[in-house]
Amino acid sequence: MARTRNSSARRLFANIRYHGFGIVVGLLFLAPLVWSVLVSFKPSVEARQPPLPPWPVDGFSVQSYDNLAQYGSGIWTYTGNSLMVSAATVVASVIVSLFAGYGFSRFRFPFKNALFVLIISTVMIPFQSILTPLFLILTKLGLQNTLTGIVLVYVTLQLPFSIFMMRNAFDAVPKEIEDAARVDGASVLRVLYRIMLPLVLPGVVTVAIFAFLASWNEFLAALILLTDQNKYTLPVLMAAVRSGQFGTIDWGAVQSGVTLMMAPCLALFLLLQRYYIRGLTAGAVK
Amino acid sequence: MTVTSPEKAKIELRDVRKSFGAVNIIHGLDLSIEGGEFVVFVGPSGCGKSTLLRMIAGLEDVTSGDIFIAGRDVTELDPAKRGIAMVFQSYALYPHMSVRENLAFGLEMAKTPAEEIERQVQGAAQILKIGPLLERRPGQLSGGQRQRVAIGRAIVRKPLAFLFDEPLSNLDAELRVSMRIEIARLHRELGNTMIYVTHDQTEAMTLADRIVVLRDGRIEQVGTPREVYEDPSNLFVAGFIGSPRMNIVDAIYAGDGRIKIADTVMALGQNFAGVAAGDGIKLGIRPEHLNVAQSSSTALRAKVDFAEYLGSTRYLYCYLPSGETITVEQRDGRDLSSGEEIFLRCDPERLRLFSTGGDRLRSANTAGMPTA
Repeated sequence: MARTRNSSARRLFANIRYHGFGIVVGLLFLAPLVWSVLVSFKPSVEARQPPLPPWPVDGFSVQSYDNLAQYGSGIWTYTGNSLMVSAATVVASVIVSLFAGYGFSRFRFPFKNALFVLIISTVMIPFQSILTPLFLILTKLGLQNTLTGIVLVYVTLQLPFSIFMMRNAFDAVPKEIEDAARVDGASVLRVLYRIMLPLVLPGVVTVAIFAFLASWNEFLAALILLTDQNKYTLPVLMAAVRSGQFGTIDWGAVQSGVTLMMAPCLALFLLLQRYYIRGLTAGAVK
Repeated sequence: MTVTSPEKAKIELRDVRKSFGAVNIIHGLDLSIEGGEFVVFVGPSGCGKSTLLRMIAGLEDVTSGDIFIAGRDVTELDPAKRGIAMVFQSYALYPHMSVRENLAFGLEMAKTPAEEIERQVQGAAQILKIGPLLERRPGQLSGGQRQRVAIGRAIVRKPLAFLFDEPLSNLDAELRVSMRIEIARLHRELGNTMIYVTHDQTEAMTLADRIVVLRDGRIEQVGTPREVYEDPSNLFVAGFIGSPRMNIVDAIYAGDGRIKIADTVMALGQNFAGVAAGDGIKLGIRPEHLNVAQSSSTALRAKVDFAEYLGSTRYLYCYLPSGETITVEQRDGRDLSSGEEIFLRCDPERLRLFSTGGDRLRSANTAGMPTA
């Protein structure tokens, strides 16, 4: 009897320790996010004060959001730019990497492995070192200072990882499933669309999330390649907001911008995390 | 060019070859499979049996040669246009589709009307007793049920020929037996031409009308299960077919229909062609054809190494004086212990002689007669 009580007490202690550790780590991760959200709801004057306590003392206010909305061409212009750039990057990255990954995984062609290594090796080139050539190329193409140009740059940067991811995802699908579809009379495109796509969906979601996060948060290329203020994306706007007007920084506006920027990232990740985790572990176990 | 009735499609391979780069996998095979026949390809791993099946299916290109199905040259045709259906080792069901969708997929691709698809699906489900499973996903099925669905997917297409690529390999022993019987029943009911690849000899022996024994991309023998078992055309087939395998021991042809094994001379009662007195030969004896006998100068002396009791029978693993091992199926129920000396006799009719090169040596009276 005493032994049973001892073992259940030990189990309870182990549970408390396990969950306690999880809660502490969770709080550490959540703290900066909560901080930003709370500061964004302080009135502008209060937001400029020393940061403690983090929550609004004089009541919740959306003044910081109003200030941000009035900034430059208006927050919706910049949000629209960012959404357009991110959505286009996601769509283009997914489409190109889907076909490239399928090709690298399933087809035999000369120099296949060399080409794959070449594509993957481009991630070793520091992005900053090719900014000037990229700027010159986009200018030559008439795409400098256009959202289309910046989308092309983002897709190019995103492709090595995306193709690698999609090739792994296709490799994890048994070849016999595809063979069965061919015997059933499906064309190559139909095999890809009806059979393979649903099976590599976790990989597609992973590629989409990475492409979205990278393009939504990217700052340097947007800063260099976009010169017209109306075409700024949110990270560039945030830098402008942070640098302030007449030497003062509106910390409330900055934090409301941060909140606005992280909302879609969080929503996307929470919605798709199930697929995302499966995508990252694809091929790891049978 | 006429297409024969779907149930009786003849399949012909004419000088079919396959190479991957400089490596030859299939070396010019000629094979004719009669309509409605159940043919099993057997051979060791890497012998090219699955590659050959995939070539017939159209999933592998043919390097040279021609493949005819129902009188039509299908060598360059897509798999779906060859009139075949294939059942894979890993089932290869579409995991994101229900059983019904899996069965219907091929018919949808062929643009079959919806009512006809439903009729075919229900028909296949009835034959394979998978009606209650139609709305389930493959992940919710057991191995046996999945294989049934895979066979159902083949049936609904009403193919000219069924191709099976080791379909029972992933099933446990009990299920394998019941599925084997179901496949045999299916062949009897549908009457289609079937080609079945396996490395399981029981499957080959029980299912096949004819067995094709392959080695290194070449056909070693084609014949009925009885022919390849009882009348192997070479040492490879003799050693490959049968479990436990045929005993192969070194012997010397002593002339006048006699052979010498270790220190024993045995009379065969007939002369053999292509071999002279004093030539070394290989002697093949099935374990079940050896009898434990009384001491005799014409019996083989052997020493028991260990015995395996299998209930209905017992296998003795013995050493000959030459050091060669020999397996004996013992049916007299006597307990023999390790190290015990025994004498073995065999009906000379049951002995199979091979040259040292592996070719079958036949009786001088029957040499040159076709065996299969």
